[in-house]
Amino acid sequence: MAEVTVPLPDLGEGLIGAKVLEWLVAEGDWVERNTPLVEVETTKSAVELPSPQSGRVTRLHVEADEELAVGEPLVTFTVDDDQAGIVGTVPAEKKPSRRVRLSLPED
Amino acid sequence: MSEFSLQQALNLALRHACEDDDRVLIFGEDVGRLGGVFRVTDGLQAKFGEQRVFDTPLAESGIMGMAVGLAMAGWRPVPEIQFDGFSYPAVDQIVNQVARMHYRSRGTLPMPITLRLPSFGGIRAPEHHSESMEALFAHVPGLKVVSPSSPAEGYHLLRQSIADPDPVIFMEPKSRYWQRESFDPDAPAEQLPVGTSRIVRPGKHATLIAWGAMVSRCLQVAELAAEDGVELEVLDLRWLKPIDADGLAESVSRTRRAVVVHEAPLTAGLGAEVSTVVTERCFDTLRAPVQRVTGFDVPYPSGALEDEYLPSIDRILTAVQTTLEYRRG
Repeated sequence: MAEVTVPLPDLGEGLIGAKVLEWLVAEGDWVERNTPLVEVETTKSAVELPSPQSGRVTRLHVEADEELAVGEPLVTFTVDDDQAGIVGTVPAEKKPSRRVRLSLPED
Repeated sequence: MSEFSLQQALNLALRHACEDDDRVLIFGEDVGRLGGVFRVTDGLQAKFGEQRVFDTPLAESGIMGMAVGLAMAGWRPVPEIQFDGFSYPAVDQIVNQVARMHYRSRGTLPMPITLRLPSFGGIRAPEHHSESMEALFAHVPGLKVVSPSSPAEGYHLLRQSIADPDPVIFMEPKSRYWQRESFDPDAPAEQLPVGTSRIVRPGKHATLIAWGAMVSRCLQVAELAAEDGVELEVLDLRWLKPIDADGLAESVSRTRRAVVVHEAPLTAGLGAEVSTVVTERCFDTLRAPVQRVTGFDVPYPSGALEDEYLPSIDRILTAVQTTLEYRRG
């Protein structure tokens, strides 16, 4: 198993931090990608952040009402080693199949 | 003996290289705090500190330029470019500086740089993430090019590349990052010289020549061919520059037939070089022209089409049958 820590993403518009309003998941929860993770408040607005990946939540790094800066750890997931890649998908190991048969020459 | 995936074996090789030599530095996009998009550098910044394992700006030319300067100052840089297709912006540094500095400086400025380059296709990735660039780099005088086919190979070849005094392009087969193999990284391994290939399955009717992820594909083909009574030898070329001409000749002089398999497009791919080496060395004993099974002369396709692009089991079997049926005259 591997751990993947997701930092507070850049929320755009030059904002450098946010305050956690409410966690929408708890430690120990299994979340799918794009599941709403947390509601945060910036100086502009309140936004729900979707989870960038699936995994089991092992640690919430900040509590409700606490502030954190962009890039600081937000949440840590435990994921299978073979799901720890960020781009692409793990190729499935399938039984090799064929249509072409071989035949040795006479000599 | 423990079981390792390729990503874990490479991580261990980097860890051991950092422990053995204080001059080894690891840097690239997301290799530090994140631990790499494929976890290959996971935990290394925590262990060796931000001075030795660090994140760079998203600028590949800068990553390689920094490697050149650090090598000049006596360090052993192990930069990562996150994906094959993103090495194009760094080609100027790699070709004009990394590959030539030792020559240009009359041997006074060696470039002991190992560029880790996650390479090849097979993981349904978006554009620029599935390129096979071995022919481009193998063509540049001054560079060595290598691609491991298994976790144990990955461990030993990466240690060897980092210890090597010359620049090495280390092409990691992304589609093989997760498959596991048991080996003991601390056991003294047979140290094969740079440029040595390895026979991973002996056979007598034809030699399949491959590297990186295509080695396991060729092993599958050899397994299926055995059902038909055809014994295929599988040769893992390992080093794509220098090419093991002696190893190729030794194998093909016995089997008398050869098929080269690679993911890169056909035209001016490395298969052409391998085919020529085999033909030059084995012209008298070859029973058939060397066959090439490769990608097509098109940009690497989207994930939905990549199984049609990559050499398939049936395409390789068909090429083998072509060599079996060939008659001179």
